Amino acid sequence: MSFREKSAWVTLIAILLVSLLFFTHGPRVFAGRVGAWELHLVAICIAAFLVIEVVAHVVLYWRNPKDARTPKDEREQLADLKATRLAAYVFVLGSFVAILASVHAPNAAIVGFVVLAAFVIAEVVNYAARIIYYRRGF
Amino acid sequence: MTKTAITNKIRRLRFDHGEMTQQELAERVGVTRQTVNAIEAGKYSPSLEVAFRIAVAFGVGIEEVFAFENGDPPGSKS
Repeated sequence: MSFREKSAWVTLIAILLVSLLFFTHGPRVFAGRVGAWELHLVAICIAAFLVIEVVAHVVLYWRNPKDARTPKDEREQLADLKATRLAAYVFVLGSFVAILASVHAPNAAIVGFVVLAAFVIAEVVNYAARIIYYRRGF
Repeated sequence: MTKTAITNKIRRLRFDHGEMTQQELAERVGVTRQTVNAIEAGKYSPSLEVAFRIAVAFGVGIEEVFAFENGDPPGSKS
């Protein structure tokens, strides 16, 4: 497994863990209870994501520095571009859902919640697609 | 995934060059071992630059490394 693939796995797992932590509190947002606790939760999630990413990538680098220092080659760049395009479609779809939600939503927090969910799902698709493209080609 | 219409003799050329490993070839060409593996398996068509780099690594012309599967490009009239 290449460094890029390992890195994509780390990011995918970090996104899933952090979003699990955040979105388990989704019902509070839907109830319109957005206060200091929710804002603290966002800060905690961002900090947790950064810690997981930095620590895991340091470990990956330490285990195989030569592989980690190798710049992305053309196939990896193409895989990243294709995965990012796929994620963009997902995010656009999620944005339309957010627009629809804004018509029927009882509070503005739900719209923000839907946009954030669309972003997270798009990033999950992005990194999952990278792993598939790295491994199986395109 | 889908195979490309271009075949290659990289495996044979590696064998002829003292069982050169995919990693060694990758380092000479400036790509990852996984990319060499994908090219060799016909799952990825490299750019012209990488194709030339592979040919140079073996000290042969590009046409000795890569060729269309049946000699002609797909869809061409011969």
